[in-house]
Amino acid sequence: MQPLDQTVLATAPPVPRRSPLAGGALSRWRAPLSILALLALPFLLPSQALAVNVLIYGLYAVGYNLLYGYTGLLSFGHAAFFGTGAYVTGIAIGAYGLHPLAAMGLAVAAAGALALALGAVSIRSRGIYFAMVTLALAQLVYYAALQASAWTGGENGLRGFTVARIGLGRLAVDILNPLTKYFVVLAFVGAALAMISRILASPFGAVIEAIRESETRARACGFDVERTKLLAFVLSGLFCGLAGALFAIHLSIVPLDSLAYHTSGMAVVMTLVGGAGTFFGPFVGALAVLVLEDALSLWTPHWQLALGTVFILFVLFLPRGLWGTALARIGAMRGRP
Amino acid sequence: MGQGTLSRRTLVAGMAVAGTLGGIGRPRPARAAETIRIGFPTPVTGPFGAEAKDQIRSAELAVKQFNEAGGLDGRMAELLVRDDKLNPGEAATRTLELIEKDKAHFIVGALSSAVQLSVNEITRSRGVLYVSISQSDTINEVKDFSRTTFHEALNPHMTTAAVAKHAFRKGTKVAYLVADYAYGHEMLRGFKRAAAAIGAETAGEILHPFGAADYSTFMPRLRSMRPDILCICNFGRDQANSIKQANDFGMKKVARIVVPVLLHNQRLAAGPDAFEGVVGASNYYWRLEETVPSAKAFNDAFRAAYGGAVPTDYGAYGYAAVRSLLMAVKAAGGTDTDKVVTSLETLRYDVAKGPEHYRACDHQAVQSVLVTESKKKSEMANEADLFTILEIEPGSEAALRSCDELGHRA
Repeated sequence: MQPLDQTVLATAPPVPRRSPLAGGALSRWRAPLSILALLALPFLLPSQALAVNVLIYGLYAVGYNLLYGYTGLLSFGHAAFFGTGAYVTGIAIGAYGLHPLAAMGLAVAAAGALALALGAVSIRSRGIYFAMVTLALAQLVYYAALQASAWTGGENGLRGFTVARIGLGRLAVDILNPLTKYFVVLAFVGAALAMISRILASPFGAVIEAIRESETRARACGFDVERTKLLAFVLSGLFCGLAGALFAIHLSIVPLDSLAYHTSGMAVVMTLVGGAGTFFGPFVGALAVLVLEDALSLWTPHWQLALGTVFILFVLFLPRGLWGTALARIGAMRGRP
Repeated sequence: MGQGTLSRRTLVAGMAVAGTLGGIGRPRPARAAETIRIGFPTPVTGPFGAEAKDQIRSAELAVKQFNEAGGLDGRMAELLVRDDKLNPGEAATRTLELIEKDKAHFIVGALSSAVQLSVNEITRSRGVLYVSISQSDTINEVKDFSRTTFHEALNPHMTTAAVAKHAFRKGTKVAYLVADYAYGHEMLRGFKRAAAAIGAETAGEILHPFGAADYSTFMPRLRSMRPDILCICNFGRDQANSIKQANDFGMKKVARIVVPVLLHNQRLAAGPDAFEGVVGASNYYWRLEETVPSAKAFNDAFRAAYGGAVPTDYGAYGYAAVRSLLMAVKAAGGTDTDKVVTSLETLRYDVAKGPEHYRACDHQAVQSVLVTESKKKSEMANEADLFTILEIEPGSEAALRSCDELGHRA
């Protein structure tokens, strides 16, 4: 094997070669089933604010998973798209008085445009180099936001764009009510999930998985690998941008941290804990990480130690993540004669 | 016998279950007995953990004293401490939880400019009273202000003015080393403004990246400016690192080092040698007890509660904010936000450091500012004897930026 391929392998996601449930009912109905499961969330979690965070970070991780889990590209710079989505939403509402829905549309478009630019620069590098280039580009965006404090509020973060009602005309609802807010956010997340499911089921979805399995073979089959990767990168950026826009609406602030590298790392951790390359896995990961953090930090000031231990155990014993392992178990049970 | 115990247990458990089930759907018990809940988001984990711990201990002391004095006609107070992890997004989520799930009546807390502004954004859109106990100039300005926003902490404008008044003279040459972020810029602005009024000159200024570890490239440049005073405008680890390296480069031999805020825990962490002779401002130092009776009372209560330890500056913020808030609740006769706001606006309180009150236009606490100097190791009487109080600048509204300047219209 060539040394270059080995570098690529080092950052490849731990996914099953072919989903054991491909074509199964669970797979065909994955988007509606996911939305159904998410409908119950606010009644099961300790608080609705936490449930909304799970939705938003779940969507962020699902968007990230499109690139990492399905295309096999380990990016360390997805905070750039999340943060851009959040900032553009906040600035469009706060400074220009745009309708919240228009602001969110603009935010998603801006995140997509940024993804196109960053992707064009970074997509030709591979493996660990790709991770480093995306990290560096995202840090550029971070420092740009820090310096442009007249627009972004700098270190203090962006404020002054609280959205109390969202919707069109008579159909507007009060999102200061936490439960209403949850279902409004779920409407967006659900639509995004349906789209992602459709994308993955399309020929394009098959091609990105082929690239993940073997870039050389995909190229030999006649696919334009670079353009496919770039398209996957942009799509991933769009969904992460939407997550950012929802984040801004949810918290009515945009902290500078939304562009920081820990936010990028968050996407990686959530995807790995839940299961890279699985449809619902990143949501399970977001749920596990946020709920653990919430519960542990109420219990002990040394919650980071406990959380770190849990992550190490995950990497050692559940390399396919929570959902990935569960799917494999179900698949094995079904596979028995 | 064993049988009897078991059945009694079952009976008790059954009664408890029945009681709980019976409680569901019934209106809440008489509101008068409802606990007064104060949400307290603060960075328990992170670089300011030590300060946060002091905030919590002091705030809990204020709650305890309120309850021991009988509360509000028998209504007790409770402090709901939450870890905001020094992250504005986390703080906003925690504040939402405190308001929506825990039904907190008031929010007090935060320890960072960005975090307090995010908490404030949540509370003001939901009409919840918030007392900030973290330094900031921004929260006074009309853009972030609301009727329910109160600021118990000092702001950079007040501390820099007090330090400059003490240290600067006409013709003094001042060199500035400034952390390149909002708080650093606020401090620089404060110093320059005071310097202009006094007639001190700027020898030069250098911006350093926030969170820098290495200051060695800045020191020769600062030295070549030949300043009388080196003014270091940063906070936390940046402050400790830059002062240590200024020492290594012999800056103290040529210039006096002044900082906008000189804090108890940060001086403890950096050690006496690095900070020796450094002059700065603070809201509180425990030896204030020698001249101020309320400081003595606060220290004694704190010592009794926490095994002889003395409260720190950020602790005093937590104590003063919660204690004055509960005084206002008592005066208002309940937890109705509107009434408590009105009573807090007119409250005159002296709970830890002499007289204080909230200014009408921006709800900034008008209070004294201490100018202190860090002691030499050989002059310290005990481990907590860190500073000499050089001056106590009395509280006055004239020391604040005018309401007009902040954008508040009368």
